Amino acid sequence: MLRMARSLPEEVLEHVFSFIHSDKDRNAISMVCKSWYEIERWCRRRIFVGNCYAVNPSMVIRRFPEVRSVELKGKPHFADFNLVPDGWGGYVYPWIAAMANAYPWLEEISLKRMVVTDETLELIAKSFKNFKVLVLSSCEGFSTDGLAAIAANCRNLRQLDLRESEVDDPSGHWLSHFPDSFTSLVSLNISCLGSEVNFSALEHLVGRCPNLRTLRLNRAVPLDRLANILRRAPQLVELGAGTYSAELRPDVFSSIAGAFSGCKELKSLSGFWDVVPGYLPAIYPICSSLTSLNLSYATIQSPDLVKLVSQCQSLQRLWVLDYIEDIGLEALAAFCKDLQELRVFPSEPFALEPNVSLTEQGLVSVSEGCLKLHSVLYFCRQMTNDALVTIARNCPKMTRFRLCIIEPRTPDYITLQPLDDGFGAIVEHCKDLRRLSLSGLLTDRVFEYIGTHAKKLEMLSVAFAGDSDLGLHHVLYGCENLRKLEIRDCPFGDKALLANAAKLETMRSLWMSSCSVSFGACKLLGQKMPRLNIEVIDERGPPDSRPESCPVEKLYIYRTLAGPRFDMPGFVWTMDEDSALRFS
Amino acid sequence: MGRRGSASSSSSLESSNYPALSSRSSLYQHNRDLSTDLRLGLSIATSSQGNPSTPSVSESDWPPIKPFLKETLAAEENECNSATFFVKVYMEGIPIGRKLDLLAHDGYHNLIRTLDHMFNTTIIWAEMDGEHSEQYHVLTYEDKEGDWLMVGDVPWEMFLSSVRRLKITRADI
Repeated sequence: MLRMARSLPEEVLEHVFSFIHSDKDRNAISMVCKSWYEIERWCRRRIFVGNCYAVNPSMVIRRFPEVRSVELKGKPHFADFNLVPDGWGGYVYPWIAAMANAYPWLEEISLKRMVVTDETLELIAKSFKNFKVLVLSSCEGFSTDGLAAIAANCRNLRQLDLRESEVDDPSGHWLSHFPDSFTSLVSLNISCLGSEVNFSALEHLVGRCPNLRTLRLNRAVPLDRLANILRRAPQLVELGAGTYSAELRPDVFSSIAGAFSGCKELKSLSGFWDVVPGYLPAIYPICSSLTSLNLSYATIQSPDLVKLVSQCQSLQRLWVLDYIEDIGLEALAAFCKDLQELRVFPSEPFALEPNVSLTEQGLVSVSEGCLKLHSVLYFCRQMTNDALVTIARNCPKMTRFRLCIIEPRTPDYITLQPLDDGFGAIVEHCKDLRRLSLSGLLTDRVFEYIGTHAKKLEMLSVAFAGDSDLGLHHVLYGCENLRKLEIRDCPFGDKALLANAAKLETMRSLWMSSCSVSFGACKLLGQKMPRLNIEVIDERGPPDSRPESCPVEKLYIYRTLAGPRFDMPGFVWTMDEDSALRFS
Repeated sequence: MGRRGSASSSSSLESSNYPALSSRSSLYQHNRDLSTDLRLGLSIATSSQGNPSTPSVSESDWPPIKPFLKETLAAEENECNSATFFVKVYMEGIPIGRKLDLLAHDGYHNLIRTLDHMFNTTIIWAEMDGEHSEQYHVLTYEDKEGDWLMVGDVPWEMFLSSVRRLKITRADI
């Protein structure tokens, strides 16, 4: 083996490695021997850092000098639901500053839940001469001024995707900063922008970019503008319509319908704010080739939804509001046999009574009719163990199962029992399950099932569940592949955490809020586990102003090679070796 | 939304539970010093960990919906609440008409109920069948093209987009 390694020239190995793309495989290659480590690190082009605080930029740059594509994630997932206070962190500027020096040929930057400033965007715009792809997913902190800088300077930009970011957008004129000579755009997603963009600049941009495949417009683009845009880009594969509402007029209707019919490549639709049902037939001609339909913002009622989905026989992904009701899901099950992913969102999440007839039966129907279903996110108001068992048996290939019963601690509405057995069936039958979100009334038993069966589980979300530390212990002890665990409002305390401290180093992160972990336990963990950052987040004031036994408000633990971070706000404390001294 | 109080029992990992934990795992054995440390070094009483903090459920963080969707749904609800569409309603034989906000109703049943009340009669519309007494009244509407049609044949939204005004006539005509 050694002889073979020496006899193969570097160039050959490098060429072989160039076919290996996944991070896991690349990491495995680099561990074979020192020379493979060296060769591999020089030819790695993409890096993914799942937690921007797990490592610092200089470490990454030192090891991988020739990177072309970087993906970074910042805040923990629960930040999406306002559980992480503003100012917690996730600033990307230090990364961009370091990479501006080290990677002049960087082409792609993808950020998720990070704080991006206009200054950052300006730095990106002027530092990377061959910059092609910018994806800002659920980011914040920047305005259209930063976007104008990107538009003006990135001559080879292919993709600008602002999905779900919070953008301060006082002016719609940033689009005009793309020079007339700019024609390389392939993908543009501005669906999150609140204010109008300059329509003629948009139409002109769309018209001069022949390779444009993806265009996600924002709500401010009215229906009558859509036809013009579509006519300029009949090659579109993915479209996010803006507002789909106008007074019903035959001339407008035929204009829209004609424009849609001209788009023979369309496979994915999204957007559709304020839908006027009379205009839905305009998209019927293209329904049969649609593979992805995101109607999460579309207030379309069940009869129209049934008419729509029954024409989408190629549908693989459907995101929809619960207006679809059980009856619409039955239609889905009957007509959309290729369905792989279903997400049903609540139209009135804060209402006390259900406003629609969507129950566990809808999901059961889909599980019966759609044999390829493997990814589910379902908001509903009632569930039974039997339904969950049926779903589990129908979908043994399930990989992502997220159920949110809106009222916390809701039992099986028929038997009034906890839903332990139902979720137990899910983890037992679905052996490839990678992601699971629990809800409803749950005891420690569900965690015992999870620890016993969910061996491939990577991410678990828990809220208002369990009875004792035993629950947490089952999960930490049993789930061998667990990477991310996020918990809120559960009676889990110190014991399970301390007993499984070493486990935390094998995971990306653990989030616990409104639980019972004491400040003393946090300090102890900080002392004993130098390769973890134990962040206590508490807006009530310094934790040492309360007794040590007092539970902390929020706790975020993650493994890191970079040590404690220095950009924490006043309500975040890192427990480290010195903290026991500092806080006593 | 009914917010429940902290209902779980105290999370006591009693010593009777410990044997169950320790007999399972060498991992647990290895980490046992931590919980021993915990018991000896910091003397944290198990009972004090009993009660979970009162559930801090607020509309801002539960149910777990992303802010963009939440804003969109809220905006749509507001729009629904603030938009109005008033049409004139005349009853045959009564020269003075009434005005009715169609958008304040979510469908035909609601509308008929309001009209029954407003005009103190029983309204016949497309969904009713069987013999009708001469005392009843028929509900009709004028559409954009000036034609008078019976209410209830087309979907509610389509009705809303074409109705100009309503007329209640005697059933014996």
